[in-house]
Amino acid sequence: MTKRFGDTTAVEDLSLDIPDSEFLVLVGPSGCGKSTTLRCIAGLESPTEGSIYIGGEHMNYRVPQNRDIAMVFQDYALYPHMTVRENIRFGLEEESGYTSEERDARVEEIADLLGISSMLDRNPDELSGGQQQRVALGRAIVRDPEVFLMDEPLSNLDAELRAQMRTELQQLQNRFDVTTVYVTHNQTEAMTMSDRIAVLNKGKLQQVGEPLELYHAPENRFVAGFIGEPSMNFVEGRHRNGTFTSEFFEYPFDSGIRDDVGDTSDVVLGVRPEDIDLKRLPEGGSSGLADHEFRMTVSVVEPHGDRNVVHLRHPEDASESETIHALTPGTTVVDAGTDVVVSVDPDTVHVFDAATGEALHNRRLESEVEVHNV
Amino acid sequence: MASSSSDQTFDVASLVEDYSLYRISQYVLVVLFIGFFLAPLETGLMTAFKTNRAVAETIPLMPPLAEGFTLDNMTFALDALSGAFFNSLFMAIPATIGSVLFGSMAAYGLTMVDWRGQLGVLVLFLVGIFLPYQAVLVPLARFWNNIFPLASMVEPIFVALPILQSYHANLVPLIITHIAYGIPICTILFRSYYQGLPTSYVEAAKIDGASITKIYRRIILPISKPMFGVVFIYQFTQIYNEFLFAFTLITGSDTPEAVVTLILPAVGASTSGVDFGIRMSAAFLAALPTLIIYVAFAEQFAKGLKTDA
Repeated sequence: MTKRFGDTTAVEDLSLDIPDSEFLVLVGPSGCGKSTTLRCIAGLESPTEGSIYIGGEHMNYRVPQNRDIAMVFQDYALYPHMTVRENIRFGLEEESGYTSEERDARVEEIADLLGISSMLDRNPDELSGGQQQRVALGRAIVRDPEVFLMDEPLSNLDAELRAQMRTELQQLQNRFDVTTVYVTHNQTEAMTMSDRIAVLNKGKLQQVGEPLELYHAPENRFVAGFIGEPSMNFVEGRHRNGTFTSEFFEYPFDSGIRDDVGDTSDVVLGVRPEDIDLKRLPEGGSSGLADHEFRMTVSVVEPHGDRNVVHLRHPEDASESETIHALTPGTTVVDAGTDVVVSVDPDTVHVFDAATGEALHNRRLESEVEVHNV
Repeated sequence: MASSSSDQTFDVASLVEDYSLYRISQYVLVVLFIGFFLAPLETGLMTAFKTNRAVAETIPLMPPLAEGFTLDNMTFALDALSGAFFNSLFMAIPATIGSVLFGSMAAYGLTMVDWRGQLGVLVLFLVGIFLPYQAVLVPLARFWNNIFPLASMVEPIFVALPILQSYHANLVPLIITHIAYGIPICTILFRSYYQGLPTSYVEAAKIDGASITKIYRRIILPISKPMFGVVFIYQFTQIYNEFLFAFTLITGSDTPEAVVTLILPAVGASTSGVDFGIRMSAAFLAALPTLIIYVAFAEQFAKGLKTDA
């Protein structure tokens, strides 16, 4: 599917197959075309090229009401002049096959389910953000649609409520078993809620896959940098004869990486912050360091309680700009200004082509060993 | 104890400081302006209740005293204007409702519904605002008199109706003219309001399966209630006070269907001179409906202005 607005291409050649009852999250930075994609599925925009099918039926020329979808908007779009009851009921009015009593009963049932039955006769502006959010969900659920479309529904809530609604949304989705397309720019929401994530950037689909697959085996530098918080470290440099050289580092590649990288010379090294180990500087200074170890200076430490984000720079880096950041357990305390030894296990290293951004090598991961079900 | 100590340290000089020269002159200016604007009103109202002798002998601003007070002017003016009042309201109320309603519908269609050629139509509406009334007077009169004599067409219906007389049919072309000329400005006023509404209202309703007319009726119309207040007051005042169209389409002040603005200049004026008491009474009575409308819609008006800003 392609969508253009005049000369601007909002979404280019996007192809997605979403199985029944999947929770798919479309994620990407602002203006990447994720909302446009959602609006095309909803029928609020029509694609310039390509086709949309829902349940095997061609949808391009169908008006939204005939697509059997429901949408939750970022600003909830609750009608201010109607009570909660009327708001939820509104979506049901055009549905055939209900008597008036059945409609009322259905509204009560949904309100009960969402825990908003006590506020059915209030106006939306008397409700808190979380309650309004629930009403908006109720309005979508009440029609029992084939597909749920959600456009950043949690972005107007405060952090605590957002976490709570995230769980609730997941439970609801499980309960109704409805295919859901969820748009967000928040990668935490994407990681925690989805069955699969589709990452978009500049109108192009970057990668689709399960959250952990995207995390551990990103197909390109954009996905690698977008998924994960704090984000992956990137060091630009050149690769020659199996050794990676950047402004301050030399990093020898082992045979596995060397085979994947081949003879590409301009590469970017990527390391997740949690894969960087910090050690106390040994007595002999930086002389006795192993192959994958470097001496670096701690510039800033951000304690999070459960973990610390340690910003590191090279001692000879005059600009004092941050080079990489590492995660340490909350109980490991490092002082700013001290020199430490940084070691990076070759097993955890990603290598990207500097020109195309494509991943040449991803970290080795035996799913049985490192990712295991509890 | 705290209060006694504060009494002791009470600073008289600070009082003087508070009433700085700047603020005093500000208030003096405000009071002067209030007087300047209210004096004519006061004069008019006082004159309306004075006998001719009192008008001639007392200061215009003074209230009428004892034998100088009379209600004769009021009753005379009411008598002279009563027919015109009915005509004016019979004309202005439907014309206002019509133009406001159509204006809101047009604004909805031009703002919240997408279709080809929208901009061209909007430009036509804008042109409609800037069209000078003087330029259309002659064509308008010819149209309603010769080409499409609507008044004589609907006359039989008016004869059959209670209260109304056959001559009231002459007001129908005026009503339609006012509706037509009121639509552009109402459309623009509503358009700016609708542009401020979140588009998700319409989109959510669309997904819920509501038709374009249902979205208007159930969602947009109720939401724009405050704006209706604003536009209604504005439009009613415009139409009620309008003179040029009324003068052109209704033959003159001596006809039974004449509206207030046509009658008013003649009330209290005769060959023997101007009767100020009667004139002022008539002017006061003529202004009453617009005042009542303002008071009745004041709350909506304030709300509408607030949401607009």
